[in-house]
Amino acid sequence: MCLGIPMQVREVDGFMARCEAKGVERQVSLFLLQEETVLPDDYVMVHVGYAIQKMTETDARSAWELYDQMLAASPPEPEGA
Amino acid sequence: MTVSARSWLERIRALNLPERIRILNVCGGHERAITQAGLRTALPNQVELIPGPGCPVCVCPEEDVYEAMRLALDEDVLLVAFGDMLRVPVNVAKGEPRCLEQARAAGGDIRPIASPLEAVAIAQRHPRRQVVFFAAGFETTSAPVAAMMAAGVPGNLSILLSGRRTWPAVAMLLDSGEARFDALIAPGHVATVMGPEEWSFVVDRHAMPAAIAGFNPESLLAATYSVLRQSMEGRPFLDNCYPELVRPGGNPTARRQLDRVFRVIDANWRGIGEITASGYGLSPDRAASDARLRFPAPPVSRRRAGEMPPGCDCAGVVLGRIYPNECALYGRACTPRKPIGPCMVSDEGACRIWWAAGLREPHEHCARKQA
Ligand code: SF4
Repeated sequence: MCLGIPMQVREVDGFMARCEAKGVERQVSLFLLQEETVLPDDYVMVHVGYAIQKMTETDARSAWELYDQMLAASPPEPEGA
Repeated sequence: MTVSARSWLERIRALNLPERIRILNVCGGHERAITQAGLRTALPNQVELIPGPGCPVCVCPEEDVYEAMRLALDEDVLLVAFGDMLRVPVNVAKGEPRCLEQARAAGGDIRPIASPLEAVAIAQRHPRRQVVFFAAGFETTSAPVAAMMAAGVPGNLSILLSGRRTWPAVAMLLDSGEARFDALIAPGHVATVMGPEEWSFVVDRHAMPAAIAGFNPESLLAATYSVLRQSMEGRPFLDNCYPELVRPGGNPTARRQLDRVFRVIDANWRGIGEITASGYGLSPDRAASDARLRFPAPPVSRRRAGEMPPGCDCAGVVLGRIYPNECALYGRACTPRKPIGPCMVSDEGACRIWWAAGLREPHEHCARKQA
């Protein structure tokens, strides 16, 4: 629940933005970034559908790499008992 | 492990460490990164990394989960909750549904969601139904819930709020005089939202080393190195090892929404009890959206209400008193397939994280060297 996911902004429409991470698109709320200017191509840290902070491309990419490694380390096996 | 992570490890290994130093983390994301990267094995023996109160699902009051089930089963409410909540067990008589998932099988309309935005969308799609959003979470989740409410919610949507604040749990541990840790790694995304300043009390009041960390091994090892240095030099300060996201003052909009929509309350933590100023309640002007007021619960007395399931020591795990595999049920009666306690249910529960990382032995003395 607490895992934040960096996403790249594609399109902004008021408080909502279409964002993308690794080919997956989601509608993300920018409500919590009202005091920032968020533009297409910017990177944001997204938590439960809300952008909580802007971030740099470099930081977003290194976080994505980490998630890839984490997924590779533990393939989806939610009930893995 | 990256070059930079390796170089942090080398710097840690080069330190002339004390006999033993225990570092508490308070974030399921940290615990997962530590366990999956095998940092406990990689670090020198003297350094102990302890998972602490980092799982909002694990400490969500049993009564609140029971209330969510009651709403779905008795009040004909459409209940939405974060997916993690669906298998959290409550204490009921044999044969009765013991978690939201079982309540759904028994006919309750219960739907998992991943975002408050989905709660609003579902309420809009079902204007004739009463929809209740069972919202448990720390500050990182509570701020989006506050934003959802501030933006305006449909009249048929109400909130069963179980928001919790992280630092008061650490303050309670430190004030109790029974804290079993010597340094703190503070949670990166909580600090992103609330600001790093919230954690200054660890240094100012308790002279304890502290560092805010992000979620990759580099940042976690940098924070570990920082608190070790602080401890050895006897010069504690609050370090920020996640400057990419953690800025002074945090996210001002998020803090403002939290202040506006919620009020800080003394709150109950499952298996632990009430912690001062550790929770969010709806502010009085939001009472109309409070599911607790909209659907008042009839007084019932239940055996073991509020407690952990029999034999489960999640409270000990959450308070950093025992490691997951020191629970007698770990891996025996309790596995992710058949979880006994919430720490084995949630993705952020230390029991589940350890099990998912392949740690299979039940009790072993030198627990930390296995994960
Ligand atoms: S192993 Fe299971 S029963 Fe034991 S503390 Fe963890 S969740 Fe509770």
